[in-house]
Amino acid sequence: MGNRFGGSSAGLLQRLRPARIDVADLREVASDVLPVLATPGLRLDVVQRSGAGSVVVLEEDERHLRVHLDELADDMTRAGVAPTRDGISAALSSWVAHRPVTDAAAATSGIAVLDWQDRSETAVGWRVVVRRGELALPWAPSAAADAPGVHRARSAATGRAHDVRLELRVQGPVALWAHPVVPMLATAALVAPERILDCIGAAGLDLPDMHVVITPHRPVACAGPAIAARLAGETTEASVTLPWRSLADLPWI
Amino acid sequence: MPHWLTGRDRDLLAEAVRDALDGRLVHPLAAFHLEDVLSELHVAAARDAVWPASAARVRLATGMAQDVLPVRLSAAELTSVLELPTLPTTLRGLLGRGRA
Repeated sequence: MGNRFGGSSAGLLQRLRPARIDVADLREVASDVLPVLATPGLRLDVVQRSGAGSVVVLEEDERHLRVHLDELADDMTRAGVAPTRDGISAALSSWVAHRPVTDAAAATSGIAVLDWQDRSETAVGWRVVVRRGELALPWAPSAAADAPGVHRARSAATGRAHDVRLELRVQGPVALWAHPVVPMLATAALVAPERILDCIGAAGLDLPDMHVVITPHRPVACAGPAIAARLAGETTEASVTLPWRSLADLPWI
Repeated sequence: MPHWLTGRDRDLLAEAVRDALDGRLVHPLAAFHLEDVLSELHVAAARDAVWPASAARVRLATGMAQDVLPVRLSAAELTSVLELPTLPTTLRGLLGRGRA
């Protein structure tokens, strides 16, 4: 994840000519910040190891992460994190917030959304994400997760997606759906396209052959096929346009 | 190439097109294209809502105002607009640029 340290701490100059994050500074901040971020289920620690350098330990259920402090400092440097106490502290908090999603969290609070199937950004599929504040983190089932458990988590996430409240804006022949806080949740409503059609109809727009223009992390646009093609065809941005009836057939990723 | 139009420009263009359509002053084929021009004015705003970054970069680089949007008209749509006798002069200048 390119933005796991948060993106707002560094200016352009800082990212172009990043100042080095000192390992000793990071250790000092981590020793103060990590205990505050830890919870009964989330262990966060800096383990001092003589000769091999210090290691940051992150443990939550089946997820175990050990990262050498000097590697974390290098990653922060490359990400352009400001080499101040506040900058490192914010980056560390963001890094913890971006930690892997546990199977239990996916099962109890997962939400189904559409995401890119791979880096080529040419196809989308359903994915379970877990919301942490303004973030939505993807769930990758652990090796211990069995098929029935994964199926239950996905089914429950689909159910929760129905309850995500989105904002609808009608722009002429286009209906736009957006989430006010977490952009990735905008596609959650697509688990129930018939309900979307009803809402759009109630807003005065009739779309019997609704097509959906999807760019994960961006608002969802719904329109007739010709308008949808015009919308997506005249931009260089990656997107997928689908008739609403095919949404249910998209694979899980 | 898109035409970069302010909110005021887009309002004037929509008004001129609607007046022509309401007054049945245009050929049916031109009317078809003009309907698409009205759609494009909405679609341009929708495009900016879904993918704001690219237009924002251009606005930043050129110093254009925040309400300036790229409007993308086909050659036939542009011709239909430029053939409107009631098209405001400023818009005719903006849209006719590059069509010597």
